[in-house]
Amino acid sequence: MATKTKTRKGVHPFVYILTAVLLVILCTAVSAVALIKPYEKVQTYLNIIFMDDMKIKPASGLDGLVIKENEISTQKPAEEEAEQFSDTGTVIRPAFGEQYAVLECEAINLSVPVYWGSTPELLERGACQASSSKVLGEVGNAVIDAHVNTFFADLHKIEPGDEIVLYTQYGIFTYKAFEQVKFENTDKTHILPMDTDRLTLYTCEAQVLGTSTTRVGVLCSLVSKQFYTDSASQAELTTEEAAG
Amino acid sequence: MSKIRCYFPNVLLTFLLVFLLLGCGLTAFVRTQVLNAETFSVVTAQEGLADKAYSSLETYFKTRANSTGIPAEVFTEVMDRDELEKAINASVGQAFDYLSGKTEEFGFTMDFTALEQSVQTFFSSYAEENNVVKDKVYEEKVASVIAEAEAEILFVADTFKLTMMYEKGWLGTARHYLTYLGMAQTACLIGLAVVLVLLLLCNLRQISHMLYWCGTAGLTASLLLLAPCIYVTATDYFAGFAIKDPQIFAAVVGFLELLVSRAQTMAIIVLAVSIGCLAVFGIVRAVCGRKGNDAEEAPEEASQEVTEQDSDTEKKSETEKESETKKA
Repeated sequence: MATKTKTRKGVHPFVYILTAVLLVILCTAVSAVALIKPYEKVQTYLNIIFMDDMKIKPASGLDGLVIKENEISTQKPAEEEAEQFSDTGTVIRPAFGEQYAVLECEAINLSVPVYWGSTPELLERGACQASSSKVLGEVGNAVIDAHVNTFFADLHKIEPGDEIVLYTQYGIFTYKAFEQVKFENTDKTHILPMDTDRLTLYTCEAQVLGTSTTRVGVLCSLVSKQFYTDSASQAELTTEEAAG
Repeated sequence: MSKIRCYFPNVLLTFLLVFLLLGCGLTAFVRTQVLNAETFSVVTAQEGLADKAYSSLETYFKTRANSTGIPAEVFTEVMDRDELEKAINASVGQAFDYLSGKTEEFGFTMDFTALEQSVQTFFSSYAEENNVVKDKVYEEKVASVIAEAEAEILFVADTFKLTMMYEKGWLGTARHYLTYLGMAQTACLIGLAVVLVLLLLCNLRQISHMLYWCGTAGLTASLLLLAPCIYVTATDYFAGFAIKDPQIFAAVVGFLELLVSRAQTMAIIVLAVSIGCLAVFGIVRAVCGRKGNDAEEAPEEASQEVTEQDSDTEKKSETEKESETKKA
């Protein structure tokens, strides 16, 4: 009649750990599978909104813009120096925010640095060339604009036939104005790319107060291209960078 | 066999518990953190949105002065940082009124009386100095300058881009879906209660196992929440936000980072509680194992004893029967 008592053996701790791990894996897998479709739907938007190559936190309006100023010779070549130049050559594509040319027009006593790209900060410093237009020396339309209250205040005074010279580190480019134009800011006719050599200068129409939606400008055709035959050494001689 | 029969329902219930916990946590998080004007106020103050908006407006009016001839001071001197901060908070408040159904429309406005007065004064003095006739053209010019300045200030001060979201219809959509949020939360809570009761029923004999299953569910849920939070923090994911206007960037990224840090805190708390549950369970099991005949296991063992006694009695009676048969 003696009662036989058994002591129940406990579950091995490994089973508890394994169960927990398996549950974590199972739930993670189920969540991942459930989220695949919604993620595919929003992936494109997320890639646009949060770009990997844009991980810069802005602290001021100048963030990301490096303004680089170069010293560019504005000496016109003498007759005997003609062999230093060539009709063909290599253009040096500037970086955004870099001063890469000096624009001169004797008719209105204008001399202004030209920056590559157009931002409010650059427009404070000089004229700006749209980065969507052609670099001077390339075939196409080079579009340069500036504020009417500062550098291009007298732009409307340029008459057809007036000469405009642009000095760069790799050459000198001479244009002749052939037409004055007036257009609305929505009209892109004069600033679009084209197959012929063209220089387009424009600014806002001057008003007593307030802004104008009208733009005034000058269209110029190419007279001559003079590339330095040794552009690399010219650049070395004349370039001195000032931190922007 | 009975252990196996209990094991799989427990695993299944814990699996459900994980997602119900996540559902409850996320709905509560959206209600208390995302849809809370206080969160936006914290971001506004923490990120200095009013200062950033003011700087942005200063830059804008200084740049515009080059083409308009109107000095930036005409606008900036009548703008106040505190007013901008109040306007930002007011826009958030109005958006929440719209989302909660208190108002039928969302419209972000500010008081521009001082600005209008300043522009009028400037134009008036300019007209007097330059003998400009105050005709219809003059009035139109003044009106257009005021309208343009007001539009720019409203655009910049709307750092969270609520007006844009309203115009695109996103706030309307959010308002529609938010009516279901309360229902979703209630459903999650009911589901959670049901699963907990079922889990309790499954572990009536070994009540300490509730700690294990709940702890495991909490651990899994917190890890599922914590992993993406750690990823976005470690990779500085939000820094890639494409709009780099300082005030918009600070508002959006600051808001998202605050939400992530709060979600992370919530997940860490759940994780700590879960680990606590598992630790208590481990201690209880260890104590039970040492005692051998733990009070918790007594009923099961008693039943086992009864079963064994019964089987002994049966065996005994069978042996007696056999011996009687032999005797016969």
